[in-house]
Amino acid sequence: MIRILDIAFKDLLQLSRDFKTFMFLLIMPILFTFLFGYAFGGFGGNESDSRVPVGYISLDDNWVTDELHDLLDKSEVIRLDENIFRSTSDLEKLVADGELAAAIIVPDGYGRAVLKDKTIRLTVLADTGTQAWTTIEAEILTAASRVDGAVRTAAIMEQFELEGVPFDYAFDEMLAAWEEPPIAIKETSSLVIEEGGENNALAHTSPGMMLQFAIAGLLTAAQVIVTERKSRTLQRLLTTATRRIHIVLGHFLAIFLLIFTQFIILIIFGQFALQVNYLRLPSATLLVAFTAALCISAMGLLIGILARTEEQAITFSLVPMFVFSGLGGAWVPLEFTGKTFQTIGHISPVAWGMDGFENIVARGLGFESVLIPCAALAGYAIVFFILAVWRLNAAEEK
Amino acid sequence: MNNSAAIEVLGLKKSFGENHAVQGVSFNVNQGEIFSLLGPNGAGKTTTISMLSCLLRPNDGDANIMGHSISTDPMGVKSVLGVVPQDLALYEDLTARENLSFWGKMYGLRGSTLKTRVDEVLNVIGLRDRANERVGKYSGGMKRRVNIGVALLHKPKVIYMDEPTVGIDPQSRRNILDSVVLLKNEGMTVLYTTHYMEEAQELSDHIGIMDHGKLIAHGTHDELVKMVGQQTRIDLTLNGNADQVMAAWKETEGVSRVTSDEGLISVLVQDSNLTLPHLFEAATKHSARITSVNISEPNLEAVFLHLTGRALRD
Ligand SMILES: Nc1ncnc2c1ncn2[C@@H]1O[C@H](COP(=O)(O)OP(=O)(O)O)[C@@H](O)[C@H]1O
Ligand SMILES: [Mg+2]
Repeated sequence: MIRILDIAFKDLLQLSRDFKTFMFLLIMPILFTFLFGYAFGGFGGNESDSRVPVGYISLDDNWVTDELHDLLDKSEVIRLDENIFRSTSDLEKLVADGELAAAIIVPDGYGRAVLKDKTIRLTVLADTGTQAWTTIEAEILTAASRVDGAVRTAAIMEQFELEGVPFDYAFDEMLAAWEEPPIAIKETSSLVIEEGGENNALAHTSPGMMLQFAIAGLLTAAQVIVTERKSRTLQRLLTTATRRIHIVLGHFLAIFLLIFTQFIILIIFGQFALQVNYLRLPSATLLVAFTAALCISAMGLLIGILARTEEQAITFSLVPMFVFSGLGGAWVPLEFTGKTFQTIGHISPVAWGMDGFENIVARGLGFESVLIPCAALAGYAIVFFILAVWRLNAAEEK
Repeated sequence: MNNSAAIEVLGLKKSFGENHAVQGVSFNVNQGEIFSLLGPNGAGKTTTISMLSCLLRPNDGDANIMGHSISTDPMGVKSVLGVVPQDLALYEDLTARENLSFWGKMYGLRGSTLKTRVDEVLNVIGLRDRANERVGKYSGGMKRRVNIGVALLHKPKVIYMDEPTVGIDPQSRRNILDSVVLLKNEGMTVLYTTHYMEEAQELSDHIGIMDHGKLIAHGTHDELVKMVGQQTRIDLTLNGNADQVMAAWKETEGVSRVTSDEGLISVLVQDSNLTLPHLFEAATKHSARITSVNISEPNLEAVFLHLTGRALRD
């Protein structure tokens, strides 16, 4: 059993002699985190526009609705974030993920209802537990009330003139109109808007690049395994009283220790240099890092066993890196894509890793939220490991 | 098992598809002796060694190494074994010391024993001064020596060496051949393969000659040579009346044949030590001078030629 450790230590010694190891595992992810973070407006976003992003969809077509939009658009507090391609459910997701502080949905017939003095309310999606909410609520209420109030006053004045309605009736009417606030608030799950928009990009790219380059780093680890087989040192190992499974576990352990250490270093870097709040839930972060490292190292083991040459080890590492990272949302968050793509994306283990980390650092969810992603990662780890052992045995059946 | 047999090979067979690489090989190696498998490239030496190291499963037959069967007790076999593979099997990005240290652990050595043995082996292979250089930077001969050193770390009872001198300089070769004899003196049993008949002749207590997957003869060097029944040939050149001298030599005791070819006279004798003085006497009697002598003892080359109709070296 102790031979597993000996082999792992030997592998790590070999890996430490290869500069590529450090380049892929540490230098590149840090570099790319900055690069992507900058591209996604991760820096300086608060300087140009510090208003809170609030989604806006209008299902109504009426001049009253346009008035409301113009009022909101002039706000000093909120910034209307409009996209005609978004559906109500997209907004729900964006608010839930903390990409938007809140979202306003103007129901069909809103304008006419206001004009005809019927009760109709705006739908506002938000997490009411945040500090930002109080300000947003006040701002929307003000705008909606101004529109509503103006229309009603106008209508009542009109009635006065035309029909000579008694004043106390009109006053009652106006009071009644205020009994119900003109907006309906839909509570969404709690999230961390205080983190602010400027950190959201980094909260995404930091785990994204970490996962992506962990896979890239497999190429040196896989090369160690390929070289061992090609240089016939593996054969020689098998002439000693070392069991095959111990050799496999030794390599697996080495890659795991390498990737896990990479995660820890990059998590610490992310926490302190980039203010990505991994340590909000240290145990959850650790669990995601642990299972993701298990999964990626099992993948590395499989690559090392499948590749026949050192060149193949490089290809077999870089192709899954691109496919899994792209598919799994390490570059562009899966929330920005459609439902179908999100489902397909979760074929990639990277998607689960991203879910796990982002639930902690971007969505502000609790410990339970990482359990399913972690289970998926562990499942992938088992599948990869079994495939690796199976391929190894198949290769030796001669 | 035979009490004195360290290695007992019983009808091993191995085919790769239609290629019958080893076709029923049997032999015994006694404890503490050097046994050479001599044969040209492709004879099946490495395949045999691989089966005896439990790397390849034989199609048929079995072998016992220090009483452990290769088919039923591979771990037992591996625990008494040191293997020097034909191809260099080292981690080139690690130093010689790191390599030896790692392999020592794989052979079950730990702590101070490991450290002592690594130092001892570095001395034996003459690389103590350069122990902390990466193996990848070594010359071919130095790599070969590390390759051998690895198999000595745990002082195995039985050691296999598969063509350990291929492609190296004469000095490293000498160093290796000497160390093989040292191993034997320490009581190890050595199974050595080579296609150099000089090596087999110099080192071995017993020799097995392999060709096309078969062991075509085995025994001591003398037994094998006697099997061919060949005589020693003495080639000479003369200053003087060659015809008279040749006639006299034909009458000399122990000479069976005298022939000449463009001034070079060949004499076949039973024992050159006994007969050569008489050849000089006869030449002197006819006032001739012998200007050169070359003695060719019967050798394994001749044995191989006799058995297969082909030269050992192609
Ligand atoms: N792994 C293998 N697959 C197919 N053929 C092999 C394999 N190993 C050896 N052979 C064949 O078996 C024969 C014996 O090879 P080998 O044992 O290496 O000979 P030697 O060591 O005496 O040079 C050769 O014809 C070789 O081509
Ligand atoms: Mg060979």
